Amino acid sequence: MPRWGMVIDLTRCVGCYACTMACKVENGTPPGIWYAPVYEKELGHYPTVKRLFIPALCNHCHDAPCVKACPSGALRKREDGIVVVDQDRCCGSRACMAACPYGALHFYAKEEGEYGPERTAFEQAFYKPYKVGTVQKCTFCAHRIDRGVLTPACVETCPTGCRVFGDLSDPDSEVSHLIRRRNGVQARPEAGTCPSVFYLR
Amino acid sequence: METGNSFTKRFVMERKPQTIWRAPHALWFFAMGVGGALYLNRALLGIEMGRLWGLSLADLLSLALISVGGLILISDLGQPLRFWRALANPRYSWISVGAICDFVFLFLDVLVILPDLEIGGGRPLAGLPWAGGAFLGTAMEVVAGVAALIVIVYPGLVLSYSPSIPFWNTALIPLQFLAYAFASALGLALIYGATGLAPPASSQTWLLLLGGILALCLLLFVAHLLGAAYTRATARESARLLVSGHLAAPFLGGGLVLGLAVPLLAVLFARPWAGGPPDTVLVLLAGALTLPGNLLSKYGVIRAGIYPPFL
Ligand code: SF4
Ligand code: SF4
Repeated sequence: MPRWGMVIDLTRCVGCYACTMACKVENGTPPGIWYAPVYEKELGHYPTVKRLFIPALCNHCHDAPCVKACPSGALRKREDGIVVVDQDRCCGSRACMAACPYGALHFYAKEEGEYGPERTAFEQAFYKPYKVGTVQKCTFCAHRIDRGVLTPACVETCPTGCRVFGDLSDPDSEVSHLIRRRNGVQARPEAGTCPSVFYLR
Repeated sequence: METGNSFTKRFVMERKPQTIWRAPHALWFFAMGVGGALYLNRALLGIEMGRLWGLSLADLLSLALISVGGLILISDLGQPLRFWRALANPRYSWISVGAICDFVFLFLDVLVILPDLEIGGGRPLAGLPWAGGAFLGTAMEVVAGVAALIVIVYPGLVLSYSPSIPFWNTALIPLQFLAYAFASALGLALIYGATGLAPPASSQTWLLLLGGILALCLLLFVAHLLGAAYTRATARESARLLVSGHLAAPFLGGGLVLGLAVPLLAVLFARPWAGGPPDTVLVLLAGALTLPGNLLSKYGVIRAGIYPPFL
């Protein structure tokens, strides 16, 4: 059984937000929900300042605090390491959101379109039937993986090849090579969550 | 409740305030804590606070407060009609454990007090099999007591088990919740005592006990703030917000000074160890201030939760 993971090369990201948008289109998420944000960070001091773009998503943590915090057992880890939420079980306590160190869970509070309560024709066609009052999250595009398409939408769209997806349990996979060769780091390792997403600097 | 989360409000890698737990949660934590402590004070120390229809007022208040806490918890859910699902993960989730204990406590305490119910001068339920010191009744009281203890501390455990927020990630929080809950429950007993319905000797003992708990509680908060100030930058920022930032008024002013320091001074001036009935105004002051102080301290601790930038 693979353990899916992602490597994100921070030296390549140009902050085009193509991944952010590809994810929204692929998953049909409502306004205000961003599974794949790209955060900006300023490094250095004037006049030698540099802007870093940090693409993010759910880390599909090995020891996922969201799964433990969820009182209704709606969050679970699949055998391939992907953390998914069952919106039919979610009671909307949002305890998982408080527990996640990476802001990867999103509450869906109200059904509305980008331009008000009425949805546009595009929104009617593309929004997925998310349940109001539940928590939603990135699934590494599990619906594609289950169909045999082993590239999440953000990875497929990225024009710079900054995001690489693969099997962390396979020492010969590209992600494993990159992590070893370029000393991939995990976000907030001190939180003890053991993320499946690694960053290269 | 808004769609999204506080991280993606701005796509900037910076500290993010937690916005999940808010004022209603402080009220929920407060009600659960005081309710549980009232029951334990009655069961362990015999603090009944009078009787209504033959039932201990402490038990009735305890049931009411824990019910209110449970209702706040349910009303805050995104899917309130699915509240029963919150009982499904007691192996890992403290909310689940707490919710189960809420129900166990409510169920058992109602059964435990039923035999005492007086209607028309008689006690029609006095013949129930667990009445009159029966082993079953004692066992039910013990289980209800354990459930009450968990009800007091589980909100604190929910916070302290959060690896996401450094300021919360400490065992001091459940201890604070425990100490402040008993202080407030004793505060209610003292208010009752000040009305002249309890013997003065009881008020003296309760006041002494309250003094000790207030001092302990104050120490726990100081230790938490000092610990945060000397550890990670984000925890330091949380402590700063509580001591000199926008949360200083509710937390420092309300939770620590008004709720702990002033009542402690009132206890010291009342000199309960000296014998003789303590001054009623001081007793009332010490008892009453622990209640808003408890609530405000919880509000402060909750709102001071900050996520550090994760990269
Ligand atoms: S990143 Fe957050 S939501 Fe994703 S598995 Fe880890 S704790 Fe859960
Ligand atoms: S698509 Fe690629 S380059 Fe563009 S923001 Fe996303 S990760 Fe960065």
